[in-house]
Amino acid sequence: MARTAPKTSTAPLLAFPLIERLLAAAMERGADFAEVYVERNEFTAVSLEEDKVKSAQNGLSQGVGVRVISGAKVGYAYSDDLDDEALFRAARTAAFIAQGRGSEKSFAVSRTPLPTFYRLPTHLADVAIAKKRDLVVRVNQAARAQDPRIKQVTGSWADSTKRILVANTDGHLAEDTQDLCRINAYVVAEGKKGERRTGSFGGGGRVSFEHFDTFTPELVAKEAARQAIATLGAKDARAGQQTVVLAPGWSGILLHEAVGHGLEADFIRKGTSLFAGKLGQKVASDLVTVIDDGTMANARGSLNVDDEGHAPQFKVLIERGVLKGYMYDSLNAKLMGQKSTGSGRRESFKHLPLPRMTNTYLAPGEDSPEDIVASVDSGIYCANFGGGQVDITNGNFVFEVHEAYEIKKGKLAAPLKGVTLIGVGPEALKNVTRVGNDPRPDPGMGTCGKDGQSVPVGVGLPTVRIDNMTVGGTKVGGAK
Amino acid sequence: MNRWESLAKKLVQRALKKGAKQADAFLQVGRSADVRVRDGEIEDLTQSTSKGVGLRVFVKNRLGFAWTSDFEPAGLEAFVDRAIALAEVSAPNPLNGLPDAKDLGKWPDVGDLYDPVVASLPEDWKITVSVEMEKIVRAADPRIKTIDSVGAGESVSEVYLASSTGVTGSYQGTSVYLYASPVATDGDQLQTATWYDAKRFFSDLEGPEAIAKEAARRALRLLGAKKVKSQKVPVVFDPTMAASFIGTIAGAANGDLVFKKSSFLAPKLGQKIAPDTVSIVDDGLMPRGLATGPFDGEGVATRKTSIIGKGVLDAFLYDAFTARKAKTRTTGNASRGYRSLPGIGTNNLYLEKGTRRPEAIIKDIPNGLYVTSMLGHGANLVTGEYSRGANGLWIENGELTFPVQEITVAGHLTDMLLQLDAIGDDLTFRGSVGAPTIRFKELTVSGE
Repeated sequence: MARTAPKTSTAPLLAFPLIERLLAAAMERGADFAEVYVERNEFTAVSLEEDKVKSAQNGLSQGVGVRVISGAKVGYAYSDDLDDEALFRAARTAAFIAQGRGSEKSFAVSRTPLPTFYRLPTHLADVAIAKKRDLVVRVNQAARAQDPRIKQVTGSWADSTKRILVANTDGHLAEDTQDLCRINAYVVAEGKKGERRTGSFGGGGRVSFEHFDTFTPELVAKEAARQAIATLGAKDARAGQQTVVLAPGWSGILLHEAVGHGLEADFIRKGTSLFAGKLGQKVASDLVTVIDDGTMANARGSLNVDDEGHAPQFKVLIERGVLKGYMYDSLNAKLMGQKSTGSGRRESFKHLPLPRMTNTYLAPGEDSPEDIVASVDSGIYCANFGGGQVDITNGNFVFEVHEAYEIKKGKLAAPLKGVTLIGVGPEALKNVTRVGNDPRPDPGMGTCGKDGQSVPVGVGLPTVRIDNMTVGGTKVGGAK
Repeated sequence: MNRWESLAKKLVQRALKKGAKQADAFLQVGRSADVRVRDGEIEDLTQSTSKGVGLRVFVKNRLGFAWTSDFEPAGLEAFVDRAIALAEVSAPNPLNGLPDAKDLGKWPDVGDLYDPVVASLPEDWKITVSVEMEKIVRAADPRIKTIDSVGAGESVSEVYLASSTGVTGSYQGTSVYLYASPVATDGDQLQTATWYDAKRFFSDLEGPEAIAKEAARRALRLLGAKKVKSQKVPVVFDPTMAASFIGTIAGAANGDLVFKKSSFLAPKLGQKIAPDTVSIVDDGLMPRGLATGPFDGEGVATRKTSIIGKGVLDAFLYDAFTARKAKTRTTGNASRGYRSLPGIGTNNLYLEKGTRRPEAIIKDIPNGLYVTSMLGHGANLVTGEYSRGANGLWIENGELTFPVQEITVAGHLTDMLLQLDAIGDDLTFRGSVGAPTIRFKELTVSGE
């Protein structure tokens, strides 16, 4: 189908001499640093509901953001007009925050070579949309074929091919093409007396289209259908403190919320995170080692370069329970006398970079998953999570558990409904009493929101046991 | 006719020439500015101009949709072709199409939406007012040691719509806002709270002093928060949390979810689902409302719709496509941005105020919970299960006592509506959803 961008474009998104002149304009009032971020992002999406492909969509977003830093002050201006007049206006608007003397310094930029944690033979924007539609059609067929109680199926595909260029007055210039895709199935099953249960599953990442030869639409549909059917007839969960076991993989979202956000450097610098000032201190049980790794091949949260032009890293945040490091973007690193950890990310040219997670996971332990479940006399097995949220200041986090089971005398029993977990980050980590030997990344479904900006992330976790977790539910009392 | 209006029309005409039976173009342009301050200085100052257009085409009953922020003439030709080509990929559906002419209605006079004062605020207004708010929150109490963010901003936006059924319309509006999130500490705990206001008109906006003082008060009163035992008790939501609850209920009145039987409200149209005192209204006409406009995302006249009237489920909300599926008429609730297809949404949404003072609602409670902030999405609209993390104050003998955290509040939305046994007289809007203080006769609080 028709596309506006040439297939394999090597021309930079903005001519280097123009970038250099923009940087000079941004420094006219004598700032410390200036940066030009250029983005061109092409989106494709297909959605299916009620047995019909409802729509096929395509979008194009492009623009330039200019950032100027003077001391701790940041000026930012962006424009989706790419003519010289609009670009220089943005540069001078961003420069407004600096109040130094006039400068006529010039700046030269040169390309920084990048690693390749994802390089697709064919960009996702160049794959025919009919092929993407066919995947979604297969999701629908497979989910409905799975069980007659599946009454509703929503299938969706979304991909983006984003080209970025970031250049700054330190002379660095980096360009990257970041492909990203995700397929998803959402189903509703109907049981007795009109009972309805939902299931949702999907995945993808910075992967080529061929990924879906093995991560098939049928596999995605079956898992979504399984969740919905398995939870039909679920009982109300008992409210109060219980032992919980988290299934491997997507449950890592709990780690992302419970500790990840609190280790981002902006919160640390401002003193608004309860992890501020705790480097070197014990903040979790000995079994807990947490890593943020932006270099995992083809993972949803991986980067060849962050949105400030820095290399992503493999970072140990917590090692055997001891807090080892925070995640820094360049501004917070500079203000705190540290180095960027390649964690500066932004949703688009319309946003300032913030320190963010990439792929965050818990390192494996020694217990087998079977032993972990068998070790619990009475508790809850959390098989699948919905969304979660954290207040990084008081550390409170919550999670909705979409698929949960009672654990009775070391065995999984009846499904439970309406389960919510709530805790305070460090306390929950201190109560981690078993960690499995079954590490697993999530299938590529995560999107993280912060300050109104969404970025793709990966999470991961082996099977984990946490004691004394508060479980929200509607039933009070009953046997312990 | 200005250039944006003629551009929208041109895209529609070109789509028709290229084979679309129907088409509409939704175009937005705007500018915005936002500042945050710290230690009496600018922390960051962001300014922007933005634009974009979304083109919806129907070719042989198939839907194609494309959007772009690139308005270069060469790019726009390819853009229309792309939308047409996309339609070939989707399935034909005879229910697809623009709203029928008879459903467009007469666009109401909604009064002014544009405040020239907001549009011409001096550059330093945001900075001055934010610095003032930071000073006030820091001076409020020595336990306020830092801030998460304190800031202000404004935006000016224009909307243009053109369609092949002859719709041509536009409106422009302004918005202006203030916010403050201080952090309080007692050496042991950190607590934060956000307080804010957002309005179309500068003269309607709450002053910086009121915002800052309330933000500080809300953060400070949470210090020392603890868990309580799991129990069933009366629960009061303050107006901001009540507004969030009303938003959840309106979400379940989405006609598309209802049609798919994916809303717990689906079988209840015309039934009594709440006490007589409960009336929930979606009002697209509210004077000076942040979500007020003359027409919806498809050009259908906006209106005032009673979702729940005196406890009876009066109506679901529809756009044109869903209304055709459900064999009813659009309610003018197609909400839309240029990057997306129309979907069903609310305009200015509120719970009508009751007669009781908020203090009187608390006074009745021997043992209960007053909720001031919540965590998580928490509601399953399909099943009606509701469970969210909550912060607030414990109520003993009719008085607010100690702060609580790390608890959840749970119930079933069906029961929660029936359990709404008190409604305050303190209806306020901060944004486009408003509610007074509300009380649930009994919900499950989970803690120790």
